Amino acid sequence: MINRECGVYQTTYEGDMALYPLPLARYSTLAVVVVLALLPLVLDSHMMSLANLMLLASIGAIGLNILVGYTGQVSLGHGAFMMVGSYTAALVTVRLGLPFWLGLPAGGAVAALVGAFFGIPSLRIKGLYLAIATLAGQFIIEWVINHSPWISGGVQSTIYVPTPTFLGWNINNEYRRYFMVLPVAIVAYVAAMNLVRSRVGRAFIAVRDRDVAAEIIGVDIFHYKLLAFAVSSFYAGMAGALWTYYLKIANYEHFTLATSVSYLAMIIIGGLGSVLGSVFGAVFITLLPIVLVYVVEGGAALFGFKYAAIADFLANLRLIIFGGLIILFLAIEPEGLFRMWGNVKRYFRLWPYSY
Amino acid sequence: MAFFFDLFVNGLMIGSMYALVALGFVLIYKATSVVNFAQGELVMFGGYIAAALLVLYKLPLAVALPVLLGSMIALGFIVERGVLRPMVGQNVISVVMVTVGLAQVFQGAAALLWGAQTKNIPLPIPLEPYVIWEIYLSPVNIAAAVVSGVFMVTFVWFFRKSRMGIAMRATANDQQAAMAVGINVRMVFALSWAIAGLAAALGGVLWGNLIGVDTQLALVGLKVFPAVILGGLDSVPGALVGGLIIGAVESVAAGYVDPYVGGGTKDFLPYVLMILALMVRPYGFFGREIIERV
Amino acid sequence: MKIKGLLTAGFAVALAVALAAPAMASHVIKVGGQCDRTGATKVVGVEICPGLTDYIALVNKKGGVLGHKLEYTEIEHGYLVDRGVEAYERLKRDGAVATLDYGTPIVYALTPRHMDDKIPGITPGFGRADSTDGTSWPYIFPMAATYWSQAGAGLQFIKDQGAKKGTKIAHIYYDNPAGREGIPIVEAVAKKEGYQLRLFAVPPPGVEMGPQVIDITRRFKADWVLGHLFGQAPAVSIKELKRAGFPMNRFVSFVWGAGETNIEAAGWDTGQGYIGMQYSSTGRSLPVIKEIMQRVYRDEGKEIPKFVGSVYYSRGVLNGAILAEGVRLAVQNFGLPVTGDNVRKGFESIKNFDLQGFLPPMTVTSQDHEGGGWVRMYQVKGTEWVPITDWIRGYRDEVMALVKQANKK
Repeated sequence: MINRECGVYQTTYEGDMALYPLPLARYSTLAVVVVLALLPLVLDSHMMSLANLMLLASIGAIGLNILVGYTGQVSLGHGAFMMVGSYTAALVTVRLGLPFWLGLPAGGAVAALVGAFFGIPSLRIKGLYLAIATLAGQFIIEWVINHSPWISGGVQSTIYVPTPTFLGWNINNEYRRYFMVLPVAIVAYVAAMNLVRSRVGRAFIAVRDRDVAAEIIGVDIFHYKLLAFAVSSFYAGMAGALWTYYLKIANYEHFTLATSVSYLAMIIIGGLGSVLGSVFGAVFITLLPIVLVYVVEGGAALFGFKYAAIADFLANLRLIIFGGLIILFLAIEPEGLFRMWGNVKRYFRLWPYSY
Repeated sequence: MAFFFDLFVNGLMIGSMYALVALGFVLIYKATSVVNFAQGELVMFGGYIAAALLVLYKLPLAVALPVLLGSMIALGFIVERGVLRPMVGQNVISVVMVTVGLAQVFQGAAALLWGAQTKNIPLPIPLEPYVIWEIYLSPVNIAAAVVSGVFMVTFVWFFRKSRMGIAMRATANDQQAAMAVGINVRMVFALSWAIAGLAAALGGVLWGNLIGVDTQLALVGLKVFPAVILGGLDSVPGALVGGLIIGAVESVAAGYVDPYVGGGTKDFLPYVLMILALMVRPYGFFGREIIERV
Repeated sequence: MKIKGLLTAGFAVALAVALAAPAMASHVIKVGGQCDRTGATKVVGVEICPGLTDYIALVNKKGGVLGHKLEYTEIEHGYLVDRGVEAYERLKRDGAVATLDYGTPIVYALTPRHMDDKIPGITPGFGRADSTDGTSWPYIFPMAATYWSQAGAGLQFIKDQGAKKGTKIAHIYYDNPAGREGIPIVEAVAKKEGYQLRLFAVPPPGVEMGPQVIDITRRFKADWVLGHLFGQAPAVSIKELKRAGFPMNRFVSFVWGAGETNIEAAGWDTGQGYIGMQYSSTGRSLPVIKEIMQRVYRDEGKEIPKFVGSVYYSRGVLNGAILAEGVRLAVQNFGLPVTGDNVRKGFESIKNFDLQGFLPPMTVTSQDHEGGGWVRMYQVKGTEWVPITDWIRGYRDEVMALVKQANKK
């Protein structure tokens, strides 16, 4: 968050290692939370759906960034782990009647187990080979769920879940769904921030930067690689479970390879190895196509074109602009939006006395 | 037994078509260390240009083919020059994401230029299969196998014997050293994209003839991953062998295992095979092993 | 630095445009729909969506719905679920009283929302078959033969052509939820009639099905093939079966393998004789299509695009016709303002609606949201689809029993 370090001195290690060492940072973070909580007062239901989609994407993206950005293990199977969480949540809700706040960790836990299992090849193979091995995970999980009626609930592979309730409160519109998603997102964010600056997080980073060296200084690579897969998949599972409660349906077609690739796009464009960057990326990838709808179609209308006459042209133009912007952003700043944000912050740090 | 050989031969034929797509992928990776997620889209674009030349502009095949090959080579150059070169030296995964963006641009551009409706590529290849010892050989697949084979032999020769090919191998081995001995590395990068464009053009024509040309043609790119991983990401013969193995395994599995498990085995069996192979040989059958020293 | 500044500014403008909600107008009736013009089903979308908008334009040319203008908003979602959810929420906010949901995963995702918000959604060709039962799914309207009805009609057609006990039928299907949906009916009917049935799964994207075809033609030696494929797969199946020497007039396809584009991809010569089902008529000779060509295109001095009158375009016209008819009945029976619930009742009072022979004689009730489940068999002759039967349906009892059973849980 925007803050200046001027005049703040830490006198203890605890103070120096705190999540937000500066008072101003703490206040501005608090302010952001307050703004987020008050958002429903000003936004209409359509805007709330956008907010919800961005928060949902953020949770998944943070999880993937722990694995790819912090531990350096590229994964193309994130969508499949979300799928596992999604179906687990649906099953425990429908079969066991558990409420959604128990279904979420259940989805996360099962996904973590599955994720750790599919992380095993990471001990032997690396880099792009590993990426493609996790791609195999995507296809295998998809196939298994799809072909086990016990899991998928029949040939249609869809399970409807009843409206989630919390203390007798039916979560059945976008405003209420926002208050189901927001706390989870905040907890996920804070947990990730704390994880990455802990002993475990430092071990992850050591594995990423140079695994052989990490092993020599006593980091158990086997343990930490699998842990990274488990933690990341836990996040994915939570996100998938939340997605199920958000839509009130579990369907594997929401978590295909395209989903995995778009999550990878989020964290790369947002910034690898940055929790806040994951959120930026999630917002960017979720919002950009929708904003482009308004901008391109609004622009065409401005010049007097009728939408129906040139709909195909506009749709494809949007796709080109979308791809073009991804390329452009990466060409300008390969380290992602988080780095751009850092540049802005650095500029304002000495402002107006910069030289 | 005829059933088995039918499946097996059919699989090999399809495998050679996978190999054609895989080849472009491997060439780019070998020379420039870029994992090209847009290879399927490149094939799709090749198919689109071919369909446009043959169907929309009604050119004869003898004219259309050189035009197609020329324009795809040019496209390869343009992509390298305009999109990938600014990314040289950046971290690998950002470059991968650039190719994902590129794929979107190709998807949009193809539909924008020539329309989303499916097109047919009329090739003078008969549909009726040849029957040899009760095994049905389809002419399109034979053509694909021949094209892949010729392509493969040419490139093995090119890499072994020609000056430029040796320069490309040197660059693949060590860019800095290659530069130091006076190899024009930029030229090598551009050339490898151009060759990938060429492979994509041929793949686009053959795949387009088989399944029709629209933007979904890009999906054949997905089939490439198990093939190239199995063969080794940076090996040209590996692409061929990987493609053939994947094709054969898919085909035989679909024939024998599908009836018992409710179908779809060929979707994931290649991947299981691939993981098992990777556990034994982490760099594929023909891939270069990277020996790490700290 | 300059580029970065420009980018930031551009983004700010974009956001501002996005946040400025479009102004609301009264005395027009709003309906909305989604469309895929860039995603996995764009081949279909680029023809269906103009069909819908053209029909709504025709309605408005003829004075609107009982004098009220019908405003249709199309939102393109690229076959992505999150954008489908966003599109629905936007349509809802802007006051749409009924929507068209496009794409199976999106239909699934939006079903609970329709039920919560009491806004009816029509899902012709995409919806799940069990939502035929309007008592369990009051706000979901498949409005065209579901895959179960299609399976029933297809097998009826095969029976009418002389299939008997022991006839070998191969059901080749796309291995995803929509593709597998027809299986229960196919199995039930095969058991009832004593057919030998085998199922052949084609995993998406279905660009290669050599093994399945070798199995069908040389090991199983099927008499009939009943195909339920999407995307590229129908064209591949036509080519592969033809290549294996299978007679095309014994290959019956469900609705998504029965467009011009599928045959175009396989080649018209290859596809001669291939049989496909349609849930709306198709061709430029139909009165409603002629009217559209005259009033929406020629009167405006516009050139008529090639796709007008094609199979998928006709399905778009069907979507538009149903939306307009439902709204018309809502206004006629309940007056203004039109609400989602009234449109639902409007849909449920559609009776013998056939749009001058364009649609099957459609009657929708609160039990049957499918409108009867009629299809018509078409065959590829020359370079067009030619009808070879009247509107048919089959094994209605089995289908309805399955609907009932599916909704009992």
